[in-house]
Amino acid sequence: MRRRDLLVGGGMALAVALVPFIPGINSYYISVIVRALTFIMLGQAWNVIAGLGGQLSLGHGVFFGVAAYAVAFLFNGFGISPWLGLWVAMALSALLALLIGLATFRSRGVYFALATVAISLGFEKVARFLTAYTGGDAGLAVNFRGTAPWAMQFRGPAPFLWMDLVVVVGFYLFTRWLLRSRLGLRLQAVRDDEDAAAASGVDVFATKMVGFAISAAMTGLAGVLHVQFYLAIDPGTAFGLFQAIQIQLPALIGGLGTAAGPILGGAIAILLSEATNWWATVSKLQGADTLVYGVVLLGVVLFAPAGVMGFLRRKRATPR
Amino acid sequence: MISLKVDSLSKDFGGLKVLRDVNFTVEHGEILGLIGPNGAGKSTLFEIIGGAMAAGRGRIELFGRDVTRMPPHQRRRLGLCRTFQKIRLFANLSVAENIRVAANETAAGSGADAAVEETLALLNLSALREAHPDELTLAERKRLEIARAMTGTCRILMLDESLSGLTHDESEELIDVVRRLNRERDVTVVLVEHVMPVVMALAKRLIVLHHGTIIADGTPEQIVENPMVIEAYLGEGARA
Repeated sequence: MRRRDLLVGGGMALAVALVPFIPGINSYYISVIVRALTFIMLGQAWNVIAGLGGQLSLGHGVFFGVAAYAVAFLFNGFGISPWLGLWVAMALSALLALLIGLATFRSRGVYFALATVAISLGFEKVARFLTAYTGGDAGLAVNFRGTAPWAMQFRGPAPFLWMDLVVVVGFYLFTRWLLRSRLGLRLQAVRDDEDAAAASGVDVFATKMVGFAISAAMTGLAGVLHVQFYLAIDPGTAFGLFQAIQIQLPALIGGLGTAAGPILGGAIAILLSEATNWWATVSKLQGADTLVYGVVLLGVVLFAPAGVMGFLRRKRATPR
Repeated sequence: MISLKVDSLSKDFGGLKVLRDVNFTVEHGEILGLIGPNGAGKSTLFEIIGGAMAAGRGRIELFGRDVTRMPPHQRRRLGLCRTFQKIRLFANLSVAENIRVAANETAAGSGADAAVEETLALLNLSALREAHPDELTLAERKRLEIARAMTGTCRILMLDESLSGLTHDESEELIDVVRRLNRERDVTVVLVEHVMPVVMALAKRLIVLHHGTIIADGTPEQIVENPMVIEAYLGEGARA
């Protein structure tokens, strides 16, 4: 890693880590950062299969939801600590990804994208129906034990900020490594041209399966941190289409297939969301925030289709 | 020793018979040219041998092993290397990374690094190692595709019109590379080509396909004199 990247990245991470120590800082602002970090890590996870692997998963929320429900269920039902439960949750997410991949990755075209949407919506219905396990429409509340580190529960949001930050930095370093690794090159080759990848000796099916499982496990970890922070999960949040779309935004805005893209994109999206929300409240224009948010996102898609990272790269490459 | 054997191969697309009972073998170290008019079935044959398309009936053997149902990546690992009629590179990877993808899969262990460097040098691409495909000329893109195809373990190189659309000098440069691969590394070469001077310069043997069947098989000198080939493909001018 270049010294400049290390200094900039490390400095930013340190600045975020120190936010809770700012005198008089409101819990609300720390919670916004926690929300942003969760959002970023979801984008980082989706980026592995969609950005590096070129496989458009439109129902990625299913891995988030399955992991969130799993860890809550294990804790409420069996008293299993989320520190242990998160491994089960991530493994379940990865297993589900392998099953979806097994059924769809041998076909070309839109089957995979459609299958992920269908499965996600199917899980939403199942979660609403299985009230005994999932709490139905109302969702599942995690039994609160006060500040109990073994239960990954805290009265304030600061520990979650630090945990989420560690995961975001970890995902960033992992993506940087993946981009240069043998698996990463395979994924990128498959993304660019499946036939040429196969003709180069790449097992296209196995590559997609491994990439999808890794991405799903990462998404699952984000689901675990989410449910531990909010201490509740419901079918809409877990499996709804809104969640699935949200997951894609950080990488799309920041730059697909790059390590820093989802971080930039997630930060921009959350800042934008908070700013438009504040403006809509102050100006008493209900719904205006969603409208402005949508217009800005449309602008990104139209004028910077390769995301902010792609835009910056193009700027740098353009002779002055 | 036989490197490639195509045995009674047929392929239909609905009612259209694209290949009809095609039989031929390619000896180790040979340079074979597959020629024929458009729609003769050359590309289909290429795709089936490469594994990108399933055979209808018949059998493909590579180095004595039945690979008819073997996926393309396993054929590549056995040493069957190919280019595409329309150049297909990894658009978002650099020149070196394009080669590295194949080297990783076919050159054992740390041999991948050496294979990439060696291939870059052989195809005169070292200075362009960090460039991306959209920054390359047509000739450089064709060189890169051949580089990616032949890096690592390559025992049969199948070139699909890789020498078309080039200037005389560019074409000569690539012909020289292919000859060196054949001579110095014992690579068997099968090429589909429309540019007859290139085919005549490279191939020691030609197979002519017409309407999915082999109408001639022989040396370039025999082929240009073959009345059936003249009528179906070359025309009277070729004899002059």
